[in-house]
Amino acid sequence: MTRGAWLSVAGVFVVFVLVWKGIVVLSGLPPFILPPPEMVAIRSLVAWTDGTILPHLGTTLVEVAIGFGVGAGLALVIGYALARSAVVERLLSPYLVAAQATPILALAPLFALWFGSGLLGKVVICALIVFFPVAVATMVGIRSVDARLLELGRSLRATRRQILTTLEIPAALPNIFGGMRVGVTLAVVGAIVGEWAGADRGLGVLINLARGSLFDTPLMFATLLTIALVGIALYLVVVAIERRLVGVR
Amino acid sequence: MSRFIELEVLLLLSFRRSRHARLLSMGLTVVLLAAACGGGPSGSPADSASPATSPSLGASPAVAPSTEPLKLTVGLGYIPSVQFAPFYLAQQAGYYAEAGLIVEFQNKIDPDLITLVGQGAIDIGIGDGTSVIPAVSQGIPIRYVATIYGQFPNVVFAKASSGITSPADLAGRKIGTPGRYGSGWIMLQALLESAGLTPEDVEIVEYPDFTQRAAVEQGAVDAATGFANNEPVQLELSGAEVVVLRVDAVTPLPGPGLIAGVATLGARGDAIAAFVKATLRAMDEITANPQVGLDAAIAAVPEIASARDAQLAILSATIESWTGPIQATAGLGAIDRDGWTASVEYLTRLGLVPNPVTLDDLVAGGFSRTDY
Repeated sequence: MTRGAWLSVAGVFVVFVLVWKGIVVLSGLPPFILPPPEMVAIRSLVAWTDGTILPHLGTTLVEVAIGFGVGAGLALVIGYALARSAVVERLLSPYLVAAQATPILALAPLFALWFGSGLLGKVVICALIVFFPVAVATMVGIRSVDARLLELGRSLRATRRQILTTLEIPAALPNIFGGMRVGVTLAVVGAIVGEWAGADRGLGVLINLARGSLFDTPLMFATLLTIALVGIALYLVVVAIERRLVGVR
Repeated sequence: MSRFIELEVLLLLSFRRSRHARLLSMGLTVVLLAAACGGGPSGSPADSASPATSPSLGASPAVAPSTEPLKLTVGLGYIPSVQFAPFYLAQQAGYYAEAGLIVEFQNKIDPDLITLVGQGAIDIGIGDGTSVIPAVSQGIPIRYVATIYGQFPNVVFAKASSGITSPADLAGRKIGTPGRYGSGWIMLQALLESAGLTPEDVEIVEYPDFTQRAAVEQGAVDAATGFANNEPVQLELSGAEVVVLRVDAVTPLPGPGLIAGVATLGARGDAIAAFVKATLRAMDEITANPQVGLDAAIAAVPEIASARDAQLAILSATIESWTGPIQATAGLGAIDRDGWTASVEYLTRLGLVPNPVTLDDLVAGGFSRTDY
């Protein structure tokens, strides 16, 4: 990003905080309903430095990382199969769409029941929520490869592996990364939903504790802020990898 | 998912184009202003005919007859249940109507209910006493006006065959609990402390999906936390002999009771007092004849009619929990002020009271009279 772009982002943030403060002042809402930004900032600082947030953050990051890895990995394989095999597409598509259409919020308690309240349940939820956008993006990307290039490759007796690595993957990468950008933010949502359904640690648990046991609304905001930052950071990581592999789009 | 795609687009735009970033900021402004306009308390249906007389907090409110019925929004627990039988009975028998009230029930989970009562969106509701203390400490303006559960309903239960008969017997045992939070966790710590134990002296097994009863039944844990009127009753109904360890004898923790917002008590104290009085009347009737309560609950929640015996057992356990030592002498609804003071000290030791609170910050006297 250029310096001007960064300034724009900072400007939007400043406007956001000012509007937030303005609403608090004008509405007179008490802190347990809407804490002012400076109160959230101080609470965030305290929660970050006194060890309140860090253990929960670590747990959530592990769930997101493994869940995203598993979900995206499977999605790449299945997405390729969907793109290249009409039979696979015909057989799997209804189930994939059905899985995507079913609210993850309704599935999460079931997963907690089946896979327990440990890491496995969260990984499954993350993987499921990540799977669809990455699989669809992979399928679209692979199908977008110029048929004439594929024909050319075959006429030059390129092996299946050579076609995959030199033609299909490079051509599909922009689409795949598009799916991963969406998928990585959804992975964070999946982890939080999984933690709500049953866990003893994680940022989702901390929200519940702040809301249900401590009645600490500023801590709830601090946790939400942390979740948002995690989502943005992971998104930027994917963008950085994409730029390295594909270049600026 | 479309919301996340929109988010992605917005982020992309904000990173790449300053003009669009300005548009984004304008959009955020509009959304936040709309939220502020629509986020105020709702559902406080104060009629123009509402009584103007407002008892001061701590004073005995007089119940003034009102010319027109006054609407009260009442928050009960998460789902309709036989344990709310007094409210159903008072509604069906017309006690609320006699008091000049039109009562509307809403089912909410405890944390939401406490916040909504503090906000004034719900006029009165059932809240855990152990939630009221940290909530008031965090600045939520609510008061506890009448006790519903005179005995703390969270208990540790075990099969009699486990050999557990006292808190000291929990040492080294596996104890199931939904999590290290809330009133159940507070109760367990107090119970262990009474025997000179800490959670480190036992093996805690977490059941966030609230399946700890099945764990006790199957022998996966030696004991578990639960509600006196739920898990132990169901375990007993399955044929097991059950031991229940209550915390009341060692640390008097305030059980769930009726809570109201400070502003509501100031503006509509008469209505709150009338509501409490009518509810306590129904509790007395159900205590004398549980069948009346069961019938009222079935009329309100027909789905529970298929398990009458189990529901009656749950109701009987609930009735038993209404009366602690204070209520046995002063009547149902009475507030154990010494118990509250001790609880504040205990929760402060546990680090759950970040800002100091006094008894008057927590409890509003005069609303739980039983002299009718």
